[in-house]
Amino acid sequence: MNKIGQAISEIQSLESLSKQDVWVNRIHPLSKLCLTVFYIAVTVSFHKYDLFGLLAMAVYPVVFFMIADLSFGEALRRLRVVLPLVMIMGVLNPFFDKTVIVTVGRMNVTGGVISMITLMIKAIFTVLAGYLLIATTSIEDICYALRVIHVPKIFVIVVLLIYRYVTVLLAEARRVTQAYSLRAPGQKGIHYKVWGSLLGQMLLRSMDRAGIIYESMQLRGFTGDFRYGKREKLTAKDFLWPLIWAGIILLFRLVPVFTLLGQLFV
Amino acid sequence: MSHIHIDVNDLTFSYNKNNQVLSGIDFHVSEDESVGIIGANGAGKSTFLKILVGLELNFGGEVRIEEMPLNKQLLPKIREKIGYVFQDSDSQLFMTTVEEDVAFAPRNYGLPEDEVERRVSAALEQVRISHLRKKSIYQLSGGEKKLVSLATILSMTPDMIFLDEPSAALDPRNRRNLIKILNGFEHVKLITSHDLDFIWDTCKRTVLMAEGRLIYDGPTDDIMRNESLLLENGLELPLSLQQR
Repeated sequence: MNKIGQAISEIQSLESLSKQDVWVNRIHPLSKLCLTVFYIAVTVSFHKYDLFGLLAMAVYPVVFFMIADLSFGEALRRLRVVLPLVMIMGVLNPFFDKTVIVTVGRMNVTGGVISMITLMIKAIFTVLAGYLLIATTSIEDICYALRVIHVPKIFVIVVLLIYRYVTVLLAEARRVTQAYSLRAPGQKGIHYKVWGSLLGQMLLRSMDRAGIIYESMQLRGFTGDFRYGKREKLTAKDFLWPLIWAGIILLFRLVPVFTLLGQLFV
Repeated sequence: MSHIHIDVNDLTFSYNKNNQVLSGIDFHVSEDESVGIIGANGAGKSTFLKILVGLELNFGGEVRIEEMPLNKQLLPKIREKIGYVFQDSDSQLFMTTVEEDVAFAPRNYGLPEDEVERRVSAALEQVRISHLRKKSIYQLSGGEKKLVSLATILSMTPDMIFLDEPSAALDPRNRRNLIKILNGFEHVKLITSHDLDFIWDTCKRTVLMAEGRLIYDGPTDDIMRNESLLLENGLELPLSLQQR
């Protein structure tokens, strides 16, 4: 399977994960969406030097991975494209902020280094929170939750259709590259001289297919408003789950748990 | 007098001035008819079907579906009466699971969820794929996708079913299964295909198209044996009649 094929199968396997009959998957999408947004907001609110405080926020993804029976390694593998970008963030901080914050042995650790690490950890935690949401909630459910909180219809439809279009685009890209490689045996990659025509072909074909899909939707009564099926009403567990987590997250945000624990041993 | 479902008079259509795709087509379909539309590549079969479901509205002449003139205002009502199965099932199925895809149309028509549920079960039952209900679309084989495509339009409870090249990419067993299922339907059916044996097995009436015109409209039995007419219009005798 080539890289594009792998990308398609990863999207499909994420969809399969979200359809699993697991306890966490059955929690109302609105609860999970609100909790994720809250977690991200709290995580990014940490001060740039508050590294130990921020580390305590790992509790949410760690526990969630265990409860949802998801593989952490698999998540890292799937996020391998995003993680290098995350690492690049804040890489210039050590050059601008040279204030010494702490000395470890004979080594001075500057504010720039700490803020760089903090920024990277924040990015990793927020990406993981997003991954946990999509691995336990289908795209239709997420869009349904967005509509419940009155996110404009047009925005939600665009999200949904872009998600579908990505798969169509990838499928066309796979066909085009396979056709190319079968007629260019032994050649590594695609020669730069044909990039333009291949890209043009791919876009035209994927737009054509997207057009047919849209026609198919129209013929089945789609008029621009996506109708979601029957969703379970919010039950006690749907309130309890985000409330308990919100409590834990706030506790870790307001109380320096690691520092307090450290003081117990000093 | 039997009810006229499709009434087409002097239909013309072109994508641009220099390319006349359809011209002078008169075509009428009444109660419970099953009509095959055959013709060589580029004869205009698919375009004709697309016009009948309102995907192309810039046509000349008159088209009436269930006595309603085909125009933008009446399109939603007309489309409720027609189920269209695309040639490529991958383009037809876009939801994540079979159940959601089959429920897409009834939900769009604003039916209560109990009725949606009933229609999904009935549609899957009709094409004998209830066991696929919870399956993801991408896990299906080509034959299964074709049956799911059929179920997605049956859940609309249409009066008419249009199928564009339904036997394309089906293996013999799935093809036979599809013929059996289609013959069990009492709907008006319009089927375009190059597979003349498939048309012979499913339609009593056939129209032959060539260069955007209707060349023949009559009993399937007659045209399938008319070798000279078929050859003149870029087709050949059905495989079942060809000598080995």
